[in-house]
Amino acid sequence: MKILRKTRFNGLRKAMQMSPEEIKEKIKKSELKGRGGSNFPTGEKIEMTMSREGVKKYIICNADEGEPGTFKDRFILKKNPLNVIEGMLIAARAINSEEGYIYLRGQYSYLKPNIEKAIQAAKKAMKKINITFNFHIIIGGGAYVCGDETAIIESIEGKRGNPRIKPPFPSRKGLFAMPTLVDNVETLANLPLIFTDKNWNDNWRLFCISGDVRKPGVYELPLGIPLKKAIQMARPKNKIKAIYFGCYGGCIPYDENLILDCEPIRKKGAMLASSLILVDETRNILDISAIISKFFEFESCGQCTPCREGNIRVLELLQKISLGKAKRKDLKLLEELCGVIGDTSLCGLGQSSVNHIMKEFKYFKNEFQEKLK
Amino acid sequence: MKITLNGKKIKCEEEQTILQVAKKQGIKIPTLCYSERFHPKSVCRVCLVEVNGKMMPSCSTKVKERMVIDTESQRVLKARKINTELLISEHKEHLTQTKKHELCVLAKDVGVRQTRFSTIGKIHNPNEGIGIARDDNKCILCGKCIQACEMQNVNAIDFAYRSYHTKITPAFEGRIDDSVCIHCGQCILACPVNAIYEKDSIKDVEKALKNKHVFVQTAPAVRASLGEEFGLEPGTLVTGKMVSALRKLGFKEVFDTQFGADLTIMEEATELVERVKKNKNLPMITSCCPAWIKYIEHFYPELLNHVSTCKSPHEMFGAVLKNYYIENSRIKKKNAVVVSIMPCTAKKFEAQRKELNKDVDYVLTTRELARMIKNHRINFNNLKEDNFDAPLGISSGAATLFGATGGVTEAALRTAYELETGKDLEILEFNQIRGLKNVKEGNIMINGHDLTFVVVNGLHYAKELLEQIKKGECKYDFIEVMSCPGGCIGGGGQPIPTTKEIIKKRMQALYVNDENKIIRRSYENPAIKLLYKEYLGRPLSEKAEELLHTKYTKRGI
Repeated sequence: MKILRKTRFNGLRKAMQMSPEEIKEKIKKSELKGRGGSNFPTGEKIEMTMSREGVKKYIICNADEGEPGTFKDRFILKKNPLNVIEGMLIAARAINSEEGYIYLRGQYSYLKPNIEKAIQAAKKAMKKINITFNFHIIIGGGAYVCGDETAIIESIEGKRGNPRIKPPFPSRKGLFAMPTLVDNVETLANLPLIFTDKNWNDNWRLFCISGDVRKPGVYELPLGIPLKKAIQMARPKNKIKAIYFGCYGGCIPYDENLILDCEPIRKKGAMLASSLILVDETRNILDISAIISKFFEFESCGQCTPCREGNIRVLELLQKISLGKAKRKDLKLLEELCGVIGDTSLCGLGQSSVNHIMKEFKYFKNEFQEKLK
Repeated sequence: MKITLNGKKIKCEEEQTILQVAKKQGIKIPTLCYSERFHPKSVCRVCLVEVNGKMMPSCSTKVKERMVIDTESQRVLKARKINTELLISEHKEHLTQTKKHELCVLAKDVGVRQTRFSTIGKIHNPNEGIGIARDDNKCILCGKCIQACEMQNVNAIDFAYRSYHTKITPAFEGRIDDSVCIHCGQCILACPVNAIYEKDSIKDVEKALKNKHVFVQTAPAVRASLGEEFGLEPGTLVTGKMVSALRKLGFKEVFDTQFGADLTIMEEATELVERVKKNKNLPMITSCCPAWIKYIEHFYPELLNHVSTCKSPHEMFGAVLKNYYIENSRIKKKNAVVVSIMPCTAKKFEAQRKELNKDVDYVLTTRELARMIKNHRINFNNLKEDNFDAPLGISSGAATLFGATGGVTEAALRTAYELETGKDLEILEFNQIRGLKNVKEGNIMINGHDLTFVVVNGLHYAKELLEQIKKGECKYDFIEVMSCPGGCIGGGGQPIPTTKEIIKKRMQALYVNDENKIIRRSYENPAIKLLYKEYLGRPLSEKAEELLHTKYTKRGI
């Protein structure tokens, strides 16, 4: 796999010979996009963080991988933590930061020794190159919402991990009110590769394929291949009915002609991240829907009204429908409620908590209607 | 800056939120978790508007050049309605209640008459403290109480758990009394649904009124605010009507806490003069505010020697009444009950302190008194004016000022000046420490000593001074701290709403009251003079120390 190639601090050495401006330009040119799910260009993010000069800056490695069906960050941290650390150091060089935090998901705490070992190795290399950087590893409490970049910051500051209102964005006012660069593990692991590999391009991504397949796991695939090909690699058990892109990305019906790329999938109304959960024909969409809603109901931080009070009602209505007790007006209410939750919630979690239902309504509404009284 | 608001092109200033701009344009946007006092949190999601096709909270979104804002589109109206329905679904009582909580008003504003969502029904045990109590069954989790507590630098409560199980509670779901809560009651004023309230003492008082000899005393701030509960304009002085209402309720003798305030000034001014002479334990900090006392006991116990040892006015009053006044009358001590009417919930806590030997038996807040008057079907506005009983109802104008921030300092200086120089002050008003500024300072030359003083209006601003004292960098001789913004007139027991404008009006009423008094300095009060002559001797005498001074407990966090 490309992402597992060890660069042994050669990327950092190359970066040290460049000015921060040049590093930023190189990353920008590489068109590396954030792998946490938002697909935001990393170069631009670095540029925004650079713009405030003369103050202390922080780097946060977002290893709070909580999305159901996603396990690529764990994979990288297990197999190649050194590249992640090196990526942090390169980004630090670009924005002129001397302190960084690795926010590790609570359930991944067993990876801490592994990361610490990598940090020790990095310190040796740093001594040779003559740079200083402080690493901290923070173990999260296990809340899904802490994967949000502003909630991570709150959590590191020692507060309750509630998302902040944006703007101000972390790149201007982040950790301890200082400019902060928050990047995903996979994004950072790619940074050294940009500097060492001339043929590197942004197309190769990690995909976590799970669900009704015989060979679930992490697959490194280039964007643009037929979806069918990707799915065949994981050897599905039966005929696939739908694909869920994690819990928040929504779902689409399986179509053999679809291409695995952001644009075609966005056209269908879903968001391509790294998680592909395959659902085959033996399953009922309503059951899947209820499981996902249960997840969001459990993980809501409880700050804003629509997410806190809404998601539990969504779950309730879904259960009512699957028990066959619901009427047409309940379905209408559910649709209306989901629209408002998605439209008015404070953070990304709330806004995307109903994505899957909206798409299920679009593609599988008959399964809901069949159950009505 | 030009923006489009509801299809109309308008000009507006920069750095304003959409809510502020809309208000100026006469467009009403409903709000719930928003308060002018705090940084907007935008969690209730009812003030949403459509900005360039995106839903944004108007309370925290600032206007930008060429913004297109729609406050009344179908999408906005639907979202507001659903979110209100969601809030109401757990609190259906708000649909029928006649009381005007903010949530009832909101439901009416957005046209919610019923909710289509089920009630899940969380059941919480009420958390009752000595001063304040909270009922989480009513709580709508807007978080304003947490902000109020943060504002006081106390941070006794915060959110716990998450999702639907979120609740607001002291640390580890402990009792309010075990927490660092200082009972100031600012959270009560902030709560839009009355989920936090004063611990009710009406029952106990009613019981005492039946078979005991009940004395009552009223704080200066109450007379400037009680009228609001009966529909009068804020800032209406209702001293006379309040006295007759108290008599009608069955209180045997109606006295004035201002007498206690005059007594406090005699002791405190003397104490200040002594400390300045010996240059010991300076700066001296006032001790009238019980919430403040609990705050310093918790957070800065090492600075307790700076706090004046004087009891607060109503406790001094209680001590004098139960020891001096009763001795000269035919009332048995066990039959005597003292009730204080206070603008404050922390006074309820103070009355329970062991070192004060229950000299004051019960404390009622302004709101509780109003409730009592209403329960007894007394037509307050038609009552005749009455006067306090003598001698413990006689007071000076200086004592009136105790109700407002800066008042204690002003009153103390009027007396301290006379104590040191033997002369009367010519200009009595200290305008530099009046008003609603957060920190107000000044100085006065007394016998060649330049006495510097500072007034802290609201606990939020005390921390910096305390840190200065700790480092030995504090340049003041005298510090007055009042926990609540505006002083006691903005206290946690005052009528709801208590806003900045209302506080200003109440404050003005007290200043006018001071000006209209014949006696304006505490040492001129004849009843005080008599008390010292007959009983106490002089300020800080042995007897006075025993009755009028107290000690503090180190509590820690």
